[in-house]
Amino acid sequence: MIKIEHLSKNFGSLSVLRDISVEIKEGEVISIIGPSGAGKSTFLRCINLLDRPSSGSILIKGINILDPKIDVAKVRQKMNMVFQAFNLFAHISVLENLTIAPMKLLGKSRESAEKKAHELLNLVGLSDKAGSYPDELSGGQKQRVAIARCLAMEPEVILFDEPTSALDPTMINEVLSVIRRLARQGLTMLIVTHELDFAKDVSSRVFYLDEGGIYEDGTPRQIFENPQKEKTKAFIKKQESFYQHIVSSNYDLYALIAEVDCFCSRLMVNVQSRKNLMVLIEEVLQLFRKSTLSFPLDMTVNYEEKTEMLELLFEAPPGSVNPMLTESGDNGSALPAIESRLQSQEYRQLGGRNRLSLYLKKP
Amino acid sequence: MKQITRSIFTVFLSLFVLASCSGRHDVQSRQGKPLYASVEDVAAGRIGVLLGSTHDQYARKNFTRATILEYKSLPDLIMAVKTGKADAGIYNSVQLPELLHEQSELGILGKPLFSSSTAMGFKKGDKELRMSFNKFLAEIRQNGVYDDMVRRWMKNRDTHMPDIRSNEKAKRTLVVGNVFDMGLPFTAVSDNRLVGFNVELIDRFGVYLGKNVVYRNLEFGNLIASLSTGKIDMIGSVLAITPERAKSIDFSDPYFDADACMFALRKNIAVPGVDSGKTDNSDVPTSFFSGIVESFRNNIIRENRWKLIVEGLQVTIVISFLSALLGTFLGGFICLLRMSKNMVLQSAGRTYITIMRGIPVLVVLMLIFYVVFASVNIDPVFVSVIAFGMNFAAYAAEIYRAGIESIDRGQTEAGVAMGFTKVQIFLDIILPQTVMRILPVYKGEFITLVKMTSIVGYIAVQDLTKASDIIRSRTFDAFFPIIMVAVLYFLISWTLMLLIDRLEVRSFQS
Repeated sequence: MIKIEHLSKNFGSLSVLRDISVEIKEGEVISIIGPSGAGKSTFLRCINLLDRPSSGSILIKGINILDPKIDVAKVRQKMNMVFQAFNLFAHISVLENLTIAPMKLLGKSRESAEKKAHELLNLVGLSDKAGSYPDELSGGQKQRVAIARCLAMEPEVILFDEPTSALDPTMINEVLSVIRRLARQGLTMLIVTHELDFAKDVSSRVFYLDEGGIYEDGTPRQIFENPQKEKTKAFIKKQESFYQHIVSSNYDLYALIAEVDCFCSRLMVNVQSRKNLMVLIEEVLQLFRKSTLSFPLDMTVNYEEKTEMLELLFEAPPGSVNPMLTESGDNGSALPAIESRLQSQEYRQLGGRNRLSLYLKKP
Repeated sequence: MKQITRSIFTVFLSLFVLASCSGRHDVQSRQGKPLYASVEDVAAGRIGVLLGSTHDQYARKNFTRATILEYKSLPDLIMAVKTGKADAGIYNSVQLPELLHEQSELGILGKPLFSSSTAMGFKKGDKELRMSFNKFLAEIRQNGVYDDMVRRWMKNRDTHMPDIRSNEKAKRTLVVGNVFDMGLPFTAVSDNRLVGFNVELIDRFGVYLGKNVVYRNLEFGNLIASLSTGKIDMIGSVLAITPERAKSIDFSDPYFDADACMFALRKNIAVPGVDSGKTDNSDVPTSFFSGIVESFRNNIIRENRWKLIVEGLQVTIVISFLSALLGTFLGGFICLLRMSKNMVLQSAGRTYITIMRGIPVLVVLMLIFYVVFASVNIDPVFVSVIAFGMNFAAYAAEIYRAGIESIDRGQTEAGVAMGFTKVQIFLDIILPQTVMRILPVYKGEFITLVKMTSIVGYIAVQDLTKASDIIRSRTFDAFFPIIMVAVLYFLISWTLMLLIDRLEVRSFQS
């Protein structure tokens, strides 16, 4: 139904989306997830040309809507959008919000538009609010009206741009249940959302957006239970990372420690774990320094909010040796100090790199 | 509604009390100071004159120690002397008995200062019209009409025009610049028509030429400029022949010699001069209400003066409404330019707004009248509408822009996403919300406009303010006409406010 080919979008020199190609079939309910700034909203806004793509093509039922000859307004009538900020027309009543477009754009009579509007208000559970004005409604009610307003145009596709992000936690559910209900009716929907549980539960397909593209695409089961790629995994586990590339053995250890400390305090990592992490970094790096083959070295600290799991990951060039094994007989061995702080460790070769994973003991 | 009526009544009452109190004001007394015996006694004081008159020049030359205060019209000058803002004033002695008769508080001080010949003014090089006037003047001097006019106007102090066969149907017109509030015996408004020696003289000249005479009511200081730019064919006001004026206009043969006299408050004068025969009735005690009634009768009822007020009111309302209408639409267009993405159009809009907001509307009015439409015979009301409309547009454009920009971008985006076109979004979504937001500011700007129109008198439009000036020139009542006009302006503004409030309520409800 929607076929996107080589879609790119730049804002000035900032490249947000790079060469996206994907096909969306009729009746699919697609959740678009990903970290902030990954271009989720931009991707959605490119599809109905609220933001015009820099290059590429978008075919809707075989028609390229980027063709200058196409009447974009007509295309949009079949593809409506629900906004984060609701954007109800402030000067007219709820009922008029629902009838203005069908009357002005589809040429419906007032009676039939109002009849339909009342049906839709009933559907979203707001039949008693027909005469109210938008500023008399709560956030959740506004968003439900906005959804009804979309449906009034009888669209084939609905784009949801973070429909619950501006809502209080108590109101999120009332909106999500309306969307759930629509999903069951077979409407094609694209939903940008941060509600991962909702996405898992409602959608037939999930796009994980990162690095300017659809980083991973799959069924909710694949994405949420068995993600294939590194960043998807991290995102699903709500994992945060700190990464540092160390060129040679002459690095500034104290600057590095300070940055890691900063990362930990941002994520509110437990004080004890934080201390242990500092000791580990210092000691393990000392071990790596014994061999020049260890550099350049990549160090990553991963923290999973859900499980409070801290992982310290080192990636050394091929030819390097496992520092945890090199320790032999030298005076004042550091190994016991390291191992006493670890829950487990793992050493393997992956993608031509020697990876040492250290999992910290939980406090 | 009851409350509104009551508040109107209160406002009226307080203003009338103010009017009547100040009408019987106490003049600053000169206790302990010697009275004026001759003109020398005010030589170091404050002397009031008519701006740009020969009196003005004379005073500057001969009273070098004095502070010269220049006024725009005789009523203003009289008021200044009466309220003690000026110690004495200089004016034509032939006009003074008229005002001393009406206002016996004033008296003539000393002997006439100087005498000057007055003549009609013509455009430089307009020999034909000037010659025919000279010929006409010679003719009436010979056949006794002139002597009869002098006898009636100057000696008998008549206030009625004789019947002169007018040429109203004549296609050719003679546009004459005059100062309607100059005062008798030369030019004044009585019973809602122009009367006076000069008026009769010009009317007779019109008949002589076979032309329809059209009068333009100008400020004294604007007479020569209007003649030079072709707004009028001749100056018919009391204009003394001076070498300076002769440089920019041509004079006819003199038709009258006017003496200039100094006048001051009667109670400050030791020995009242030339004219003093009138009885002094200023000390007759008048009751508060009879004072109001008398002022009302004098300024409103007598000589049908209320008609002037009604006409002036109409002009003020017409100018206000039309210029607001013009300004509202022009403002929309300017706003469109200002908000355009095209840099050329945008800077055009920006420039217009900057210029129009940077120039006083009075100057714009004069520029349009005397420069832009210099050689076109154009209705000054039309010019006023254009000037005020252009001024209003600059402010309206910025009001609109602020209003439109205050509407959340999301409103537009929602419209776009639903498939509305840009024009539909503007008309159906943005505009109604903008109107609701800007109405309060717009209302204020509109009322400012109404009050600003009080300056149209400068280009010979007879509006409410000018009507009160003309009445003052006849009654020499300093306060009543001004207070009355204040009340009327207030009522106009107030009514308009109520009307727009209604509109506001309705648009919020819809």
